[in-house]
Amino acid sequence: MEHPVTPAEARAALETVEGGRLRVIDEIDLPSWYWWGLALCWIGLGFIADLNHPWITAAATCAFGAAHSAVAPRVVSGRHRTRRLSVSAAVAGCATPRLVIGGLIALAALTVALGFAANADGARHPATVASVVVAVVIVLGGPRLLAVVRRNAARSATAT
Amino acid sequence: MTVARFDELIHPSTRLSIVALLAAADWVEFAFVRDQLGLSDSALSKQFSTLEEAGYVSMERPVSDRRRRVRARLTPEGREAFQAHVAALRAIVGSADSASAVL
Repeated sequence: MEHPVTPAEARAALETVEGGRLRVIDEIDLPSWYWWGLALCWIGLGFIADLNHPWITAAATCAFGAAHSAVAPRVVSGRHRTRRLSVSAAVAGCATPRLVIGGLIALAALTVALGFAANADGARHPATVASVVVAVVIVLGGPRLLAVVRRNAARSATAT
Repeated sequence: MTVARFDELIHPSTRLSIVALLAAADWVEFAFVRDQLGLSDSALSKQFSTLEEAGYVSMERPVSDRRRRVRARLTPEGREAFQAHVAALRAIVGSADSASAVL
């Protein structure tokens, strides 16, 4: 059968297709305000916990959980970093929400562990100290986590 | 399974780049495509018109937004045509590879 293009042209066209996919994969991310907001809320919760009013701490934790639940469905998919495009679910995959939620659980555990460690060390505000450390991890580590997601998505795009 | 079908309308390099971007997204803003591909507004509009006339792309102007934004998305027909075109390109490359392996 006569092909409408040569194999070299077809290969070049496939590279163009992959290039388009990679450009969209580059957009998989969470808005930067999410990481900063999360970090600030984390510090706020740590500060409140140090006030030693269990009811206020519980109420603040519930408020944080409710606010995060309202925001998270729109952003943690990693598909809407900006308002310029919506990355398709097939390209974004389901790794981002799992990593973000799993990361939050791990960071909560880390905060508690650091809080106990700071308390044992005689810190006057152990929860605040722990939450500031974790907030730094959130701001610095969050974007790096998404870079890993993008790398994996690009690898799977190249493999298919 | 996608049936391989070479699509003359999609194949030209600029149009293929546009459709490849749209295929990886639910929708893409006109300005994003323009910036990514380094095209002028008029050149991109022309390409979108061709794709829209073929029924491959739909253009939307969200009314909720105060800024004038135009979004483009692939229609189901456009997505199907793109996948069939990619399958045809792979078949061409694949048959060339297997022919060279025989020689």
